[in-house]
Amino acid sequence: MHEMSIAMSIVDIACKEAQRDGASSISAIELDVGKLAGVMVDSLEFCYAAVCKGTLAENSDLVIHELAGLGVCQQCQTEFEIDSFMALCPHCESYEVEIKQGRELKLRAVTVNE
Amino acid sequence: MCDTCGCGLPGETVTFRKHGDVQHQSAEGHAHTHADGTTHTHTHEHAHERTHVHHDHDHERTLAVEQDILGENNLLAQRNRGYFEAKHVFSINLVSSPGSGKTTLLEKTLTEFGQTIPAAVIEGDQQTMNDANRVAATGAPVLQINTGNGCHLDAEMVHTAYQELNLKNDSLLFIENVGNLVCPALFDLGENKRVVIISVTEGTDKPAKYPTMFDGSDICIINKIDLLPYVDFDVAQCKEYALQVNHHLKFFEVSATTGAGMDTWYTWLREQLNQ
Repeated sequence: MHEMSIAMSIVDIACKEAQRDGASSISAIELDVGKLAGVMVDSLEFCYAAVCKGTLAENSDLVIHELAGLGVCQQCQTEFEIDSFMALCPHCESYEVEIKQGRELKLRAVTVNE
Repeated sequence: MCDTCGCGLPGETVTFRKHGDVQHQSAEGHAHTHADGTTHTHTHEHAHERTHVHHDHDHERTLAVEQDILGENNLLAQRNRGYFEAKHVFSINLVSSPGSGKTTLLEKTLTEFGQTIPAAVIEGDQQTMNDANRVAATGAPVLQINTGNGCHLDAEMVHTAYQELNLKNDSLLFIENVGNLVCPALFDLGENKRVVIISVTEGTDKPAKYPTMFDGSDICIINKIDLLPYVDFDVAQCKEYALQVNHHLKFFEVSATTGAGMDTWYTWLREQLNQ
């Protein structure tokens, strides 16, 4: 449900950047979305198309770079790939894991037309 | 209302009301006006018909942005946090599924503190003044935010709300978020602590099913423990799931209705304010 507000933020940021650049329209927006960011990519794409209407980003492509989750075990310092917050260390089987990567929700780049 | 994402249709804006107030709308309105000045109106009917236009690559250029998408909210949340710190206000963001007992916990807490510790409340619900009216009956100042069809509070709403509440120095601020265990997880409000409530009438595995919220919380209150003899809820297992998601979580087991376990919660709150 919150994907709608996130889609609005994305289009807002992108339009500001495009305007600052003096561009006439946006052809693509690139995001970095971590696996643990709490965002459903399908839902985000759905909302994005709707939010873009009537803006510089109308008909633009949304390019999503999904980032894997990375955790570091606090017991044995093993670093391993995780796909959920309930991450079990493969080395010592501890759940005491700090998340190093995967929460990212970032607008990486905007492709604009002159 | 959009059944897909829960967003409001145009014209349905966020409202802020005090107990007994007539309705007024936010100046900012959360009407979704974009950077280029166009106002957000949307339907979903063509969402699956997105046109992938052929771009003329000769005139295209890519701008590196590298911005946090929630950056604006996070910035405003930090501003709220600074305000609370300056006034020595200890603020709590209460999150849970609908019906887990957030408002009852608040009513009991406010009644316990009475005149000894000043406390104010920001209530978040899609509709109605019901919770604000319940809280107002305890004597605490309260402001109701109706998000319309919005599924979470954000830092800007909280910013508008606390300005109307004239928070006292050395006080508590409770922000009761919209009952929703998913969406509020992503939106920092500037609170000191995020408290997630789960009641024993829910599933033991809720922390495993909704991990993002438990990951982002500092405290977990297990409520309605007076009902444990009648329900199939395993407190130890629930805590284990929650700790597997977030090993920093601190727990309180309470019944807001009977008062069982509430003393430890009150003691903890007093300690936070005295720090």
